[in-house]
Amino acid sequence: MSEIVRAVDASVIVYFIVLNSFYALLLVLALPEIWGQTRLAEDENLLRLQESGAPPPISILVPAYNEEATIEASVTAILTLDYRHYEVIVVNDGSRDGTMDRLHEAFDLYEVPRIHPEVLASKPIRALFRSRTRPRLVVIDKENGGKADSLNAAINASRWPLVIAVDADTLIEPDAMLRLTRPFLLGLKVAAVGGTVRVANGSVIRDGRVLEPRVAPRFLPGVQVVEYLRSFLYGRLGWNRLGGNLIISGAFGLFRKEFLLEIGGYRTDSIVEDFDVVVRLHRHLRDRRTPYVITFVPDPVAWTEVPESLAVLRRQRERWHRGLILTMWKYRGMLFRPRYGRIGLLGMPFFTFGEMLAPLVEVIGYAVTAVGLWLGVLDVPIAVLFFLVALSYGMILSIWGIVLEEVGFRRYRRWGDLGRLLLFAALENFGYRQVTVWYRLRAFWSAMRDRSGWGRMTRTGFAPAGGGTAS
Amino acid sequence: MTSRDVLIIVAVSQSVTLAGLLVAIAVNRWIRQRRRARVVPRRVVLDQAMNGWALGEIGPDLVARALEDLPTADAVEALVGWAGRLRGERWRALAEALDQQPWTARLRAAVRARPWWRRLQAARFLSVAATPADAELVARLLGDAQPAVHIAAGAALERIATPHLVRIVIGRMPEMAAPVQAHYASVLRTTHGIVVPLLIERLGQVYDPGLPRIVEFAGRFGDAGLREAVTALAGHANQEVRVQVARALGDFPHAASVAALRTLTTDSAWEVRAQAVRALGRIADQVTLPDLVARLGDSVWWVRLRAALALTRLGAGGRDALLTAEVGAQPDARFVARLILGLTPQALTEFAA
Repeated sequence: MSEIVRAVDASVIVYFIVLNSFYALLLVLALPEIWGQTRLAEDENLLRLQESGAPPPISILVPAYNEEATIEASVTAILTLDYRHYEVIVVNDGSRDGTMDRLHEAFDLYEVPRIHPEVLASKPIRALFRSRTRPRLVVIDKENGGKADSLNAAINASRWPLVIAVDADTLIEPDAMLRLTRPFLLGLKVAAVGGTVRVANGSVIRDGRVLEPRVAPRFLPGVQVVEYLRSFLYGRLGWNRLGGNLIISGAFGLFRKEFLLEIGGYRTDSIVEDFDVVVRLHRHLRDRRTPYVITFVPDPVAWTEVPESLAVLRRQRERWHRGLILTMWKYRGMLFRPRYGRIGLLGMPFFTFGEMLAPLVEVIGYAVTAVGLWLGVLDVPIAVLFFLVALSYGMILSIWGIVLEEVGFRRYRRWGDLGRLLLFAALENFGYRQVTVWYRLRAFWSAMRDRSGWGRMTRTGFAPAGGGTAS
Repeated sequence: MTSRDVLIIVAVSQSVTLAGLLVAIAVNRWIRQRRRARVVPRRVVLDQAMNGWALGEIGPDLVARALEDLPTADAVEALVGWAGRLRGERWRALAEALDQQPWTARLRAAVRARPWWRRLQAARFLSVAATPADAELVARLLGDAQPAVHIAAGAALERIATPHLVRIVIGRMPEMAAPVQAHYASVLRTTHGIVVPLLIERLGQVYDPGLPRIVEFAGRFGDAGLREAVTALAGHANQEVRVQVARALGDFPHAASVAALRTLTTDSAWEVRAQAVRALGRIADQVTLPDLVARLGDSVWWVRLRAALALTRLGAGGRDALLTAEVGAQPDARFVARLILGLTPQALTEFAA
């Protein structure tokens, strides 16, 4: 028995050494990437580019389901972006609340005939509207079919060669679109490009704009600020260097429409349609041997509301991880296949054996350590020391995200916010991490039972926030 | 060494790293605040000098001195910002005043630097402060492998375009994405006297595989002097060339262009037909009415749609044609005519845009 415990324990340790070494590699690779991206972002004369008419026209797709609380502010903010050629297509996905009424009221909609061919299948469209006050706006009212179905309907109705999917509860910064198109302006063969999603909770917001970014003082949203920084600022930047970005956030990702059409749009049977679509794009373009890049640009920013209660967080994390498991299973044929290049040899293995299995291995590690201690085959001081080293490593990764934020962007100007970031980076490993591991572990069970569905995300809406200073 | 020793070493190094990161964050903030405190007043001085110079109250040498007091990155940024507001002879005088300064000499030397961001800074500087003597440096930057560098350098062509420099740009045109082309079309607009002859020469190379992109650029550039050369390519064997020709000819309302477009409305490729009817809609010549009506029955939806939209731009004649098609024998034409006639004027404008 003790031999088994030792062997499993050693395997778990080797697993985490390999995984954490890879994280360290991503961390190191993020450095030159953020240096280069910051140089480009700082040297860009955005106004001049806008005047030149060079930025390509874009269709912004906004699926909305029961978004009554936020829809007006979000759409208004999107309609006032600093970008010359764009249209906004809002899809009311059979909302049961007053989303459609809010849209009618706020934007003075009138019905127009459908003029676009329905290349991608979607649930029946009830009506198509335009706005008397906002000529850029198109609203599709359709039967409920989920986010992917709404995006497909919006792609059908879109006019421009680039489409960007934006969540209705997401606030896009005015210059974000212009920044997001930088890879296109640089002439890269871009299939998709993602921007940074940041946490809006606790920030000062007015008229759908984040006026002053703040770190939420409450633990749950505050700790997610650190988590998002870590995920976006070193995870994805590191993957840029490795050439295998597998995630473009569904809340803020720009795609070349022709490629989306070629792969049949978004899959309605996937619960993480953004992840699924990027994996399929990689597979399709690699199969066709089309040169392309799927990249991440850190300076365009969209703000989103994150869960403030454990119940909502559980549903969200479980869904994300269940989606990861199902997607990895569905595209397992790409794993270790040299024809898929770095995606098949690095990206897919990392997401399968690192991201997907990590909670499972972590829990096995905890259990075996407990059994080992109980049987007396493990040395208590060494086990405690190992636990502390593991926690400390997690803390270093989080603080590294904050370092990149400070060096590259410095959105949180107040010393108080910086203090909170550091505090949450330290506290994240005591409780929050274990809770999210548990949620992710539950996802295995529900994935095996193949439960689909999104779970409900309760929105508080982007009413003036930030301590009531947003008047 | 036991496993406990290893773990202790790892723990100690982690603690040192953590402490180092915390110190780095704090020091970074402190340095940036100090730098801001130092630079902002100098930037105010520069803006005052620029304003005084713009009003003719002081000479460019004082502006140059204010620029010299700023860190190079800030000086370049300020120059780029002001270049958008001040142009012409006065700006040239400033560029010449800057010519002899040590910091600008360092920037010019950075054209040959290994790190691309240093070349980018040089390109940004030259984009607003290049003098004719910098033509060779700009030529080097225009050929740079880093796209950000050659795009930034391209803006210098607004000030010092020479046939040699324009030829480099046109030579790279086939590899440029559409937004980059649009950027160059914008910066070269003021130098059409140089661009047009070179483009005509390039449009004459009918076996050039990069020809579609050259025609696309010619369409974007939209100079009347290019009409003949573009029209001559209407019968080109390459479909992509014909698509670009059809698209470009919409900007040339001339009898010869109209004749070429009428031929292209019956092209074997639907993409060409769609662009041709769209271009005819932009030209809106009554003589093309029968061609557009014929395309209402095209086998491809996009061609029918574009033809119907084009007819709405032909005044009463076009509207009558749509009304006739709405009750005509062809089901496809009937459907598209009914659709377009049902649109509000605002929706129609938006669809036709």
